[in-house]
Amino acid sequence: MQSERPVVILDHLTKRYGTIAALDDLTLTMHAGQIVGLIGPNGAGKTTAIKILVGLIRPTSGTASIAGVDCVREARKIKGLVGYMPDQFGSYDNMRVWEYLDFFGAAFGIPRRARTKRIGEILETTGTAYMKDRFVESLSHGMQQRVGVARTLLHDPQVLILDEPANGLDPQARIEMRELLLRLAQLGKTLLVTSHILPDLSRICDRVGILIQGRLRAFGTIDQIGRQLSQERTVEVHLTRADQVAAAAEIIRRAIEARSQIVEATAEEVVRFRTAMPEAALGKLLAQLVQGGIQVTQFREEHTDLEEAYMSFARPSETKPELAVAAGGGGHG
Amino acid sequence: MASPILHRELVSILRTRRMLVFQCLLIFLFAALVIVRWPTEPRVALSGARPQQVFRLFGYGLLTTLLLVLPVFPASNIVREKNRGTLALLLNTPLGAWRIYVGKLMGVLGLAGILLSLSLPAAAACYALGGPSLTGEFPRVYAVLALAAFQYAALGLCISTFSNSIDGAVRITYAFVLMLSVISLGPHQFFQGSEGYLADWSEELRCLSPFSALMSILGAGDLAGKGLMSTTNVPGRFAVLSLVITAVCSVCTVLRLNHRIFDRARPQGRISDDQDLKVRAFRRLMFLVDPQRRARGIGPLVNPVMVKEFRCRRFGRLSWLLRLIAACAVLSLALTYATTMGTLEWDVETIGGIMVFMQVALLVLITPSLAAGLISGERESGGWPLLQMTTLSVPRIVWGKLLSVILTLLLVLCATLPGYLVMVYIKSELRFQVERVVICLAATAVFAMLLSAALGSLFRRTASATAAAYAALLAVCAGPLLIWLGRDAPFGRGAVEWALIVNPVAAALSVIRTQGFQEYDLIPGNWWFLGIASTAALIVLIAQTWRISKPQ
Repeated sequence: MQSERPVVILDHLTKRYGTIAALDDLTLTMHAGQIVGLIGPNGAGKTTAIKILVGLIRPTSGTASIAGVDCVREARKIKGLVGYMPDQFGSYDNMRVWEYLDFFGAAFGIPRRARTKRIGEILETTGTAYMKDRFVESLSHGMQQRVGVARTLLHDPQVLILDEPANGLDPQARIEMRELLLRLAQLGKTLLVTSHILPDLSRICDRVGILIQGRLRAFGTIDQIGRQLSQERTVEVHLTRADQVAAAAEIIRRAIEARSQIVEATAEEVVRFRTAMPEAALGKLLAQLVQGGIQVTQFREEHTDLEEAYMSFARPSETKPELAVAAGGGGHG
Repeated sequence: MASPILHRELVSILRTRRMLVFQCLLIFLFAALVIVRWPTEPRVALSGARPQQVFRLFGYGLLTTLLLVLPVFPASNIVREKNRGTLALLLNTPLGAWRIYVGKLMGVLGLAGILLSLSLPAAAACYALGGPSLTGEFPRVYAVLALAAFQYAALGLCISTFSNSIDGAVRITYAFVLMLSVISLGPHQFFQGSEGYLADWSEELRCLSPFSALMSILGAGDLAGKGLMSTTNVPGRFAVLSLVITAVCSVCTVLRLNHRIFDRARPQGRISDDQDLKVRAFRRLMFLVDPQRRARGIGPLVNPVMVKEFRCRRFGRLSWLLRLIAACAVLSLALTYATTMGTLEWDVETIGGIMVFMQVALLVLITPSLAAGLISGERESGGWPLLQMTTLSVPRIVWGKLLSVILTLLLVLCATLPGYLVMVYIKSELRFQVERVVICLAATAVFAMLLSAALGSLFRRTASATAAAYAALLAVCAGPLLIWLGRDAPFGRGAVEWALIVNPVAAALSVIRTQGFQEYDLIPGNWWFLGIASTAALIVLIAQTWRISKPQ
């Protein structure tokens, strides 16, 4: 469902509170149908960026637009284009889920008949139909988050901006939330999601931005970020026989760089090594192994973990280069 | 300090900047009172009458300050801890329920003690000038103040254990304080001098009020007294009753302070429409408007914010509104019945006075609870950014919220109107007065609503907003009555009239010619004041709402 049409554009966005830069020269583009995740430690500027996008905060400099509508100058129009779920649910006492959605539907000016139909549809989509008569304040956190997502869908917005939707959820609720977000992306929605739960983001996001101290330190797919983080990659060679592990390691040692590290895991019948060799050279190495009589079942690159990539940026002692990836939606900070 | 809870409770309150400002303000006010009313002629100083009058006023002022300021602290105390989860931690410590309770109670009493001790220099000045006696009025006044503080602290803590929200606890506590201290005086004013069980009952009832005890000690006579001597030992009875109430509240609070306070199942949201025919028919008969029926969608011409306010307020639901209106109507008709049955003993003006007093009390009681949290409630619950993200404009949001209060107040006032109609029917020359009273009540309602909403919008928390609204409204409605109590001495007629101009209660009572108020000409001055103050409050409300709804 992704397209090349840019929907969300943040252009050199900066927000300063006195001398503190909550957001520093953030540039980012999202295309229609994408799920983009923003990660970063507390106070990194994720919520500030989101609030500028939905028109709740005015940037110090730079521009932000959604579907060509300026988020600052045309804040009223933005309300129709965006479904926003803040990190705080915003419940009202003594209101049932249906009444809660009915109120927000009416607040968006949806006519009563269409509203009733729409509420029925989104209750089904979000899997909350069974709780429509429950009181909002009596719902569990996970249920409230799903109702929150349902509320963002009421006026059928193009873009959904969800601030920490998985925060505080139990494992089952997290899985359900993940599935819900993927379902929404399949429906053609563009999603911007912030989260502290990195495995969740890595499973659903097309692109991830790492925001540290207001600056976008990396943006792209998880593999792209990992590859730029380090030129080397980890390759795993799975064998059928444990007695061939040493022989395979010897062939690999001769082929790769002299200072590269090789790990022989005899019990697992696996050889792991790190290399900066290009794809073609790795192909030749595989051929050498096969020609050397090694019975190879798998020859694959081990994917970079999002946590690993995030931690390498988040560690304050290390100074990492700032990366910019522009393929299929890009950004720089 | 002996108890860690006492240390935490007292120090945390005293650390706030607001409390520091309040203490300074209190000292300044007491000093100003003494300076303003200090005798300038040596002859007056020798008689000691002026310091006596100042001390009397000083005592009432101190009690009013205690009643306005103190209840918010115990009321919000336990429920706040419960909602934050720290009460569970406290209950898990080796401290027992009694020690927790005593620590909390002593914390509030410590605060009350500080407030009372701040008044000692001014009180000493009155004594030094030959006013109150060191063995008579002086310790007895402070004993009544201490008992009142003790009673309301225990009451507030008890209510706090039953509440689920801070603003609910504050609201109910202030309602009880108002009922026990002011409304309990009402019946006696109308039954004094008469015989029968109602007179006896009203005599007992007034002993619940610390004002009554204070009046008795200071020799001021009864509020709007008819010059009758009372043989009742009011301070003694007040002491006994306040100690009984304190003991009952304390035991009740301690019994609630255990794990069962958290043991509450989530409501399952049962809907009557899904039940069988018998249940539906029964509920239809019992409720008239069943609160558990499935709501219809918000209509096209209705302000959705107004509907939301009615739906999310417990007393906003139609079933509760009907009960409130029915109670008002029954009370109003009962008073009218009393008028027709007791015309020989009571004149229509007396009944009118009761009705006006009760209506204004009702307005003062319910309006802050309806209006103070209109904006702060949204900000506290996180609903404000969600409202901002809808296409509703700021004026529409404010109007929807105000409309929900206006309609409720209108229904309440309309429910009490039949009584006035009967009064006019009995005595047609009262028509002009009744018309003016109705205007007074409407102006009071608008003023109370806008003042509460405007003040409330300045706060982020509903409890603070509700407390501030109650304090401001009670200061306007009860403060000038203190000056009125000191009419002729130490205050002259002009000063009393000037003070009463701002008071909507006094204005309505003067219109209906209630004894003690008929000599003051407060209309249209009071209407001008209410009109200007309401306009100012509306401007503040809109400006503040506009400010918080703009991108930061």
